Amino acid sequence: MQIIFPTMSRLFFILMIGVSLYMLFRGHNEPGGGFIGGLIAALGFALLAMAHDVGAARRALMVHPVALMGGGLLLSFVSGLPGLLSDQSFLTHWWLEIGSLHLGTATTFDIGVYCVVIGGVLCLVFRLYEGIEQ
Amino acid sequence: MAWIIIIALAGAAIARPAANLFGKATGWVMSLIPLALFIMILRHAGDVADGGAVIATMSWVPSLGVDLTLRLDGFSMLFGLLITGIGTLVTVYAGAYFAEKPAADMGRFLALILLFMTAMLGTVLSDDLIVMFVFWELTSLTSFMLIGFDAHKAEARKAAIQSLLVTGGGGLVLFAGILLIGMTLGTFSFTEILARADELVASPWAGVIAVLIMIGAFTKSAQVPFHFWLPNAMAAPTPASAYLHSATMVKLGIYLLARFDAVFASAPAFGATLVVVGSLTMLVAALKALRAEGYKAVLAHSTVASLGILVMLIGLDGEVAAVATVGFILAHALYKAALFFCAGTAIHATGETSLRKLGGLARFLPVTAVAAVLASLSMAGLPPFVGFISKEYLFEAQLTNGWNVVPIVVAVLVNAVMCGVAGVVSIKPFYFKSHRVETVKHGETPGLLVGPLLLASGGIIIGLFPDGIGNLLIGPAASALYGSPIDVSFQLWHGLTPMLVLSALVVAIGVAIVVWWDFIHDHLRRHDRLFRLIGDGGYHWVVDGTLHIARSSTRVLQNGDQRRYTAIVVAVVVAGLAFALLAGPAGLYIAAPDGSLRASVAIVLFLSAAGAVATVLARSLIAALVSVGIVGFAVAVIFMLNGAPDLALTQIAVETLLVILLTAVLLRLPARQRHSRTVGERRRDVGLATAFGAVIFLAVASMSVIPLDMSLSDYFGQTSYLEGFGRNVVNVILVDYRAIDTLGEIAVVAFATLAVWALLRNTGPKTRTKE
Repeated sequence: MQIIFPTMSRLFFILMIGVSLYMLFRGHNEPGGGFIGGLIAALGFALLAMAHDVGAARRALMVHPVALMGGGLLLSFVSGLPGLLSDQSFLTHWWLEIGSLHLGTATTFDIGVYCVVIGGVLCLVFRLYEGIEQ
Repeated sequence: MAWIIIIALAGAAIARPAANLFGKATGWVMSLIPLALFIMILRHAGDVADGGAVIATMSWVPSLGVDLTLRLDGFSMLFGLLITGIGTLVTVYAGAYFAEKPAADMGRFLALILLFMTAMLGTVLSDDLIVMFVFWELTSLTSFMLIGFDAHKAEARKAAIQSLLVTGGGGLVLFAGILLIGMTLGTFSFTEILARADELVASPWAGVIAVLIMIGAFTKSAQVPFHFWLPNAMAAPTPASAYLHSATMVKLGIYLLARFDAVFASAPAFGATLVVVGSLTMLVAALKALRAEGYKAVLAHSTVASLGILVMLIGLDGEVAAVATVGFILAHALYKAALFFCAGTAIHATGETSLRKLGGLARFLPVTAVAAVLASLSMAGLPPFVGFISKEYLFEAQLTNGWNVVPIVVAVLVNAVMCGVAGVVSIKPFYFKSHRVETVKHGETPGLLVGPLLLASGGIIIGLFPDGIGNLLIGPAASALYGSPIDVSFQLWHGLTPMLVLSALVVAIGVAIVVWWDFIHDHLRRHDRLFRLIGDGGYHWVVDGTLHIARSSTRVLQNGDQRRYTAIVVAVVVAGLAFALLAGPAGLYIAAPDGSLRASVAIVLFLSAAGAVATVLARSLIAALVSVGIVGFAVAVIFMLNGAPDLALTQIAVETLLVILLTAVLLRLPARQRHSRTVGERRRDVGLATAFGAVIFLAVASMSVIPLDMSLSDYFGQTSYLEGFGRNVVNVILVDYRAIDTLGEIAVVAFATLAVWALLRNTGPKTRTKE
């Protein structure tokens, strides 16, 4: 257990982050989206924290979870601003069409949600697991 | 005109860095901003001279019909000039006052002062009542921050909270009044309200609106029974006291009443109430001024008395009353701000606040002493100062108004007290031999002298040459107030009139008060009970009572037992749902299942039931946790089987997360095997849980009977790709159709998490300290 879990957790972590990003970006057309993606990514980091220690998970996350949460909230808010310019209505999205692919401020809004969920979940998980001896 | 507010706001923003850059010269540099605004407003003088108004409109919240309309007429120009003019002098004075303090302190103070100036200008320039209210509240907030500027002093904090509670609470009352006006007339534009005043007065809400607006104004302008906060607000640094709590902010209530006096002109009770409240305030404040000891406290009480005079003047009808109001606002702002500046210099120099311990300061502060004497002569109402002219108008307004003799007697007595106060605050600390101050910490600097000297000499110059200011300022302002152009003869000499007799009487009593000041003062200090009655006892009673109720209700509701909280929540949900089911129009239906039960669903349901039973029977917490997990995953599978993949995914992720979080919590709990609950408690829990399950079952069963309204689902289904470019309708609703809801939700989640995160800060071994 002490060997298998930490070793496998690295692999699972990478897989879960990949899946979470996939969920995030396909969310507009198929099941998924920022909220689910954020939860899956947060679980990946939590796995690291459980298998190694909170420090390893913090290093993998690179930014402080609270900062991530605030940044996500800001991103979601800012992605509503362009709508104010076009027809004076907050959160009316702008779209960019590249072939059949639609990218727009709705995508950045969802990325904001993704960040808020990861940051929110992890700042609690890290707090709770800190101080518990492995 | 919008530039006026934008420049003021920019000034507030740069004050802090400017303080680091310019050091001791910051006051002089920053004063250029209010000075520029003063000139900008003055340039409109020609436009408003004949009672006209300058109007600038921008759309702000079109969906609510709120426009950012700015309107400058004679009356708002008077206020605008006072705000920026005295603002300029306050900035210079504050620069000198804070010269020895750290640059950060000075920067913070100037930023707040300029922010306050922005709010004041916004209040007097906005035509839309909602916009005005926003600025109005901003003045209360900046006042709160300035009173509590020395936040390390408990007294300052207490006074700041008191003023915020009183003025902020009054602001809410005013807001209710504004909303009622909007509901009655369908507009928030003051110009339109004034034009349709008859309609408003005839409406059934007129009385309520008038009372709400009066309460809002009375709290701001410290009228009885809200008069107590202003003297306590003297905890603010003196430049702030001079600016906010004598010359400008406390006159906002007056401003509002004067504006609405024109609206309620046809309702005589409005004016009568103002006369009564104003007279009461004058009496109470005059008594308290005679009893007060602190230099600033005496001035503060006399300010309250002056505000009472103004409220009374607004209550009177006629052209003379309008001229008297405007003249008194101007005269009072000039001499009171000057006196506060002098008080500030004296206190700054000696560190002593009590009038009893100040004496003979003229040797150290000769110019300040001269300014104090000039200002107090205007306050005493002696010719040839502007204070004399305004007092003549005050008596004339009273005499021509047919009111009975009581308000006139009150006015004479109160003016006499003000005359006495004027003598005491200028002569005693500077010239009296008793309690001579031997050394001073700080002398006079140019920055400390510009303000008091300019204001005090302004009082005599306007008094000697009243024509210019009468045509430029007082005429347009009084015309705007009265509603039609007035031919103002703002003159020093009116001949031998009854007003002159009353003035002479005032001065005679005033001199007597100066002579017997100590005697009256000592006598009044013995009557503790009376003064507690007219002090802030009522305020403390209300605040302490509220805190007491909060404490006792918290003890009952929040006893710290998690099981009890859960029990209460579950019981309330059960009761609410049961009530809704029994009383609702749909009644109680249980649908027979239509169609056959699929085998896959049945298996999952069985699993879920097994998990639930196992949870109840589990002996250890870990086992219970795992069992609950089974129920959760089974539910996720049911979502999946019924065509809700988004929901299922979320459920699985949340369920996993819950296990991770609860594991961390369990690892911190002592591994206890046995339940700590008594048999009786466990029976009650069983009852609650069973009732909860039953009521949820009934609710779901009867809900499935009611046919679903599919129109929304159809709409979203059809337009999702066309308008939101997404085939996943759930996600498109979240990020596009209802994106503002999502934004609100993630904001709530973020802030709630932040609070939990902060609470979890010390989860290590507790070190309890006795408090």
